[in-house]
Amino acid sequence: MTQIGEVALWLALLVAGWGAALGFYGGRRGRGDLVLSAERSVYAVFGLLLTASAAIITAFLRSEFRYKYVAGYSNRELGLFYKITGLWAGQTGSLVFWALLLALFGSIVMFQNRRRNREFMPYVAGTVLTVLAFFMVVVVFASNPFQLMDFVPPDGRGLNPQLQNYWMTIHPPTLYLGFTCFTIPFAFAVSALLSGRLDTRWITTTRRWTLLAWFFLTCGIIFGMMWAYVELGWGGYWFWDPVENASLLPWLTGTAFLHSVMIQEKRGMLKMWNVLLVIGTFLLSIFATFLTRSGLIESVHSFAENTTIAYIFLGFLGTLILISAALVWWRRHAFAAENRLESFLSRETAFLVNNLVFVAAMFAVLWGTTFPLVSEGVFGQKIQVGPPFYNRVNIPLGLILLFLLGVGPVIAWRKATPRNLKRNFAGPLAAFLLVGVALRIAGITNVYALLTFALAAFSMTTIVVEFWKGTRARAKIEGEGVAPAFIHLVERNRRRYGGYVVHAGFIICFCGFAGKAFNTERQAALHPGESIVIPSAFGHSYQLTYQAMSWYPAPNMTKLVATVEVKRDGRMLGLLTPEKRAYKQREEVTSEVGIRRAWNEDLYLILAGVDRADEFMRGTNPQPVVTFKVLVNPLVPWIWLGGFIMAMGTLVALWPAAEAVRATARATAREPVPAQLPGLAGA
Amino acid sequence: MKKQSKFVAGGVLLAGVVGYLMVTGMKDSMTYFLTPVELHQRVSANPAFAEQSGVRVGGRVVPGSVHFDQKTLDLRFTLVDIETGKTSFPVHYNGPLPDTFQEGRDVVVEGNYRPGGTFQASNVLTKCGSRYEAAESDFKGKQS
Repeated sequence: MTQIGEVALWLALLVAGWGAALGFYGGRRGRGDLVLSAERSVYAVFGLLLTASAAIITAFLRSEFRYKYVAGYSNRELGLFYKITGLWAGQTGSLVFWALLLALFGSIVMFQNRRRNREFMPYVAGTVLTVLAFFMVVVVFASNPFQLMDFVPPDGRGLNPQLQNYWMTIHPPTLYLGFTCFTIPFAFAVSALLSGRLDTRWITTTRRWTLLAWFFLTCGIIFGMMWAYVELGWGGYWFWDPVENASLLPWLTGTAFLHSVMIQEKRGMLKMWNVLLVIGTFLLSIFATFLTRSGLIESVHSFAENTTIAYIFLGFLGTLILISAALVWWRRHAFAAENRLESFLSRETAFLVNNLVFVAAMFAVLWGTTFPLVSEGVFGQKIQVGPPFYNRVNIPLGLILLFLLGVGPVIAWRKATPRNLKRNFAGPLAAFLLVGVALRIAGITNVYALLTFALAAFSMTTIVVEFWKGTRARAKIEGEGVAPAFIHLVERNRRRYGGYVVHAGFIICFCGFAGKAFNTERQAALHPGESIVIPSAFGHSYQLTYQAMSWYPAPNMTKLVATVEVKRDGRMLGLLTPEKRAYKQREEVTSEVGIRRAWNEDLYLILAGVDRADEFMRGTNPQPVVTFKVLVNPLVPWIWLGGFIMAMGTLVALWPAAEAVRATARATAREPVPAQLPGLAGA
Repeated sequence: MKKQSKFVAGGVLLAGVVGYLMVTGMKDSMTYFLTPVELHQRVSANPAFAEQSGVRVGGRVVPGSVHFDQKTLDLRFTLVDIETGKTSFPVHYNGPLPDTFQEGRDVVVEGNYRPGGTFQASNVLTKCGSRYEAAESDFKGKQS
């Protein structure tokens, strides 16, 4: 029965290829009937991919181990939840899943624009279907989830233990939602190039899609950090690992794009730059998908896996780059700017520098990530660069961004006058100095950390002042109370104030990153009853007492659990129970850390080793010596808080304003209405 | 016109600073990615290579060679070239045993090759599971 999925994949390939050709041809020739067929192809591919995905999940649920994919990522004892998420547990399934999401978004876009933007839609359908066809080629010819083995193993290998974690099941789909979502603005950019309509229309139409993509990508990256933090068990959340970098790359250009489109909308500048940014973001999304799933970069020779896929992907990327470059070149005269930069001290400059910094950071990360490949190609020798490289380049860039984040939103357009500067920046500058000096006196000597906190104070002040000014002005004009004025203010300028909320979250995240400068760490081998004492940067002292060791079988695994009593400054906080888990199917051991979270710092406890564990489990060594590693990570909770605030802010900006919805309903057949309504801009 | 060129100069300056940071950052953190055979060749060709920091060696953990002291967290094992199965050297590492570390597994060790012949690892990386693909042979053993 589940073989129907393979048929669906083949059909999806054919339909996508057919529709892509019709979309471009029909669009060029103005053949409405062909275009309609192309648009329907998008729906059809979605239906077919839904069928294929359902077949994969069914195969997981029914433990059909004759499929290599199912046998590789599942076993009989695996929980229902992880069987369903098996769809994206491995390379082959996740490529199908990627395509499914893209087909879903494509279908939504086709439906939304069934009467609007008709000059764009043939090419949008064509572009989306081309990408889908490419994924189908990979899936069908190089990485087929329905590949059968010539025998049926009695049980599967089971899911990798490190993936049996809540964050890990939600992290990949969230990232994929972000990657695929960026295809939509890209498709519109391509259609703008093909149709020659290079005004802001393609940008305003896809604004929500860009924000949605950014929302998913941001959440996906943060989920990945959370997963690394709780599951990898070394106390960090970011390794500058190629796979992590891959997800950061489109985020960097996507963020730059979100900012630079504002310049085009307000001032008619940077038109070509915006097209290039969105093309770049899409290409990096594809690159990220392929990098995370091919294992090309981290492979020592023997680790190399499915390299066929790598070559197909690189070929596809190369083709896309050539075609995009050719299109941009073809339309190069249509990008003339309507205005010029007038002054260094202007919002345009702040945005421009912001863009340059984001793109510079992207190139630095891309360079570092691909360097092993480059060096192997050029010198025949794989050379990697480590975290010091990334930190060295990106910390200063991050600080520039933190500064610009305070400047950009309040500095005047075109040319800032001294009066404008003084009025807007006197307060924030005072906050900068105050926090900087206070923390220096408090004993912080790390320059980067000091700068981070001081710049955070600077930028946060500008945001608070912006909210305050807007609320006060509205309260005065409309005669409202402060609270309703505040709510209406945000409601009527969602994009602007949502953006400020995102900025606030970003600032809080950065403070969290700076907390790393103050980590403390201890390691000791303890007999039952013995303690470790560890100080924290906030002046607390934690005492951890190892009480006992226990072990018990659980579904699919055996757990070894240490019970540790935690006191802070002599007061009892409770118990931590770090574990070692031995999984049956894979003969693997994983560590589950114990984390005691507070608003300002995490106590992070790793069960590093159990002396003579086998004798302990047989009962001949009832009180084993256990080695613990304990860390205090200051401000890590702020990263999660900041991430949450960023996500919320994006939702505020994304949510359709009530008026806009009505207006759009009225105007479905005519022009789309910009989401942003004229507000009380910084009155 | 003059203003535009000022902006260009600003952009070039930024690119220059970033470029400088990248180049110096590269020097600080470049690590060679080698197999045991390649490492051996490098060291015999140039003994000073051993003192260079930053080598990553991918190899296989020799079964039966692993000694892990649970109290001191001292890990000692022998790493062998995966393809040839010949060139090997002892590795020392101090720290918690990496989760998926096992005899017979392929691992990457990061650190320095000491003149005495021991590899002092600052980091032992096991192959990340999310990208692990089961080969058909992995199931053969379970066939009943």
